[in-house]
Amino acid sequence: MWRVRAQIPKRFGVDAACLSSLLQDLFPVEYFGLMVYNSIRSARLRDIIHSPVELLSRVCFLKAAQCLDVNAEYDETVQSVTSDSTLIFGTGFREALNKTMSGSLKPLKCMQQFHSNVSSSTKGVQADGAGLPSVESDEKCPTEDSVSMRQNQTCSTNVQHTPDIERKYVHHVYDAIAPHFSSTRFAKWPKVSMFLNSLMPGSVILDAGCGNGKYLGLNPRCFYIGCDISAPLIQICAGRGHEVMVADAVNLPYRSGFGDAAISIAVLHHLSTESRRRKAIEELVRVVQKGGLVLITVWAVEQEDRSVLSKWTPLTRKYEEEWIGPGSPHMRSSPSTVTLESIPEAEESSHRDVDEFKALDNQNPPKESKQQPKEIIEVGAVPSKVADVSVAFRNGSIDNHQEYFVPWHLPYHRAEIGGASSLALESGLAKKDDKKGAVVYNRYYHVFIEGELERLVSGIENAFIRDKFYDKSNWCIILEKS
Amino acid sequence: MRLLTHNMLSSNIKGVTNGFPLRLQVEKSVEKEVDLNPDFLKNIFPKIEWKALVDASRALGYPELPDEAEPSMLDSHDFLKKFHHALLELHVEEGALICPETGRNFPISKGIPNMLLHEDEV
Repeated sequence: MWRVRAQIPKRFGVDAACLSSLLQDLFPVEYFGLMVYNSIRSARLRDIIHSPVELLSRVCFLKAAQCLDVNAEYDETVQSVTSDSTLIFGTGFREALNKTMSGSLKPLKCMQQFHSNVSSSTKGVQADGAGLPSVESDEKCPTEDSVSMRQNQTCSTNVQHTPDIERKYVHHVYDAIAPHFSSTRFAKWPKVSMFLNSLMPGSVILDAGCGNGKYLGLNPRCFYIGCDISAPLIQICAGRGHEVMVADAVNLPYRSGFGDAAISIAVLHHLSTESRRRKAIEELVRVVQKGGLVLITVWAVEQEDRSVLSKWTPLTRKYEEEWIGPGSPHMRSSPSTVTLESIPEAEESSHRDVDEFKALDNQNPPKESKQQPKEIIEVGAVPSKVADVSVAFRNGSIDNHQEYFVPWHLPYHRAEIGGASSLALESGLAKKDDKKGAVVYNRYYHVFIEGELERLVSGIENAFIRDKFYDKSNWCIILEKS
Repeated sequence: MRLLTHNMLSSNIKGVTNGFPLRLQVEKSVEKEVDLNPDFLKNIFPKIEWKALVDASRALGYPELPDEAEPSMLDSHDFLKKFHHALLELHVEEGALICPETGRNFPISKGIPNMLLHEDEV
């Protein structure tokens, strides 16, 4: 077990100015600043302010993970913080650590360097490497070159890592509303039916994100295999005799080229970053054979009934202020380079965090509190990996909202007592609407703007667009694998 | 889970280079009759990894498939019947799929494989 004993420096108080000065002390390399800053922004600010140890542990973790080039989730990592400020790292991180260390000695040397860095820069932190083999070395941490190489990796490797916003506002919601959702999902879009019926008899059709399986078996001369990330929805499919499994459309556990065709119906709009949406398309292309077709449909911004948009909650402000930062990167002339993936979504009370952050800003001299974090973001935004910010931001067309919470009303008689819904109500994930007699869930949507789907697939080498069309408030595209 | 699905599934844990075939651990299996569809069988045959299908069907107590198979055999109704039975009529209800490289266990419960990865596996 790896422990870091940390005594919090006295000067580390409770305000934002102290936070940023501590960060700068700890991390002369700007990149760390960005990571830590993002990490702090995404955590509940109040918790951090009240628990400097929490902050310090995040700092230690990020620094260690960066040095070791491991991908580990913070929350899985620090198992606990004991009363004497000892951080106990969890198994996930230890495993990653072991893997890295068995490979070569180099990371170990970095680790030592990490220890001494933390020790010296925080003036009160001691680290003991209990359980770590000791290495005598005075070699330095990776040079700036290798650090910058890692920047890209860190930003891009986790495309298959499910962001919290999808976990909470897609997966959990569908799990909770599955039977009701399913009971309302039977109408089949004619264009999807046409596509399925046009396939050769005997085709194997892979449905990635099949929901309640309403398209499985539509053309009875074909064979279907469905998957969805929601186990309750998959149980419904299985109950109807469909061949299905629980799997993630962003990372399909399939051999390449097995399917004759693949469909992704109303799935991609639940993925919260462009690179995840693209990855999901690449997966669909990968799993079909050469010449195989892929049908993708997504919700359009351009809804036939424009009034439905007024029932949705735009998330723009949230993105702008919380995910992307107070510097409003989308206004800059250069493309923004802050990836959404590198900024883990906040705990449930995200709006409160923003408000608190603002409150802090007001309490402190603007020079300290506003400028510092902004600068950290800007220098940190050096990585060449292009922004993973939604197209709207890139185009600066912020008025055309694409990120929404779309409500789902689960009637009280459908919401079982003591089940998922009461948990959701407790945790604030759902709210009661007594007028409508329903528990209201919010589902995250990234609705697609005209041309976006084409742009998204344009970078995929082994597929070309066979057809594209608009159907019942959806953008649709048919790809052929080449 | 049918053996058709087993023949498609491959462990996609980060770092795994050859996740196929997943080792099959069977606790409970069932047979469900379905109509034989020659079009489907002829279409799917070239994509089937034969040895994996043979091994999996034997794990389910069905030893009838020949060790080797070639397209000309699809003309034999007897062969089609056996192929059809192994591929579509044998179901693993309870058990597990095991990654050949890492030994990671993907459970199969009520006929549904759960292929979701942990955060540190992607």
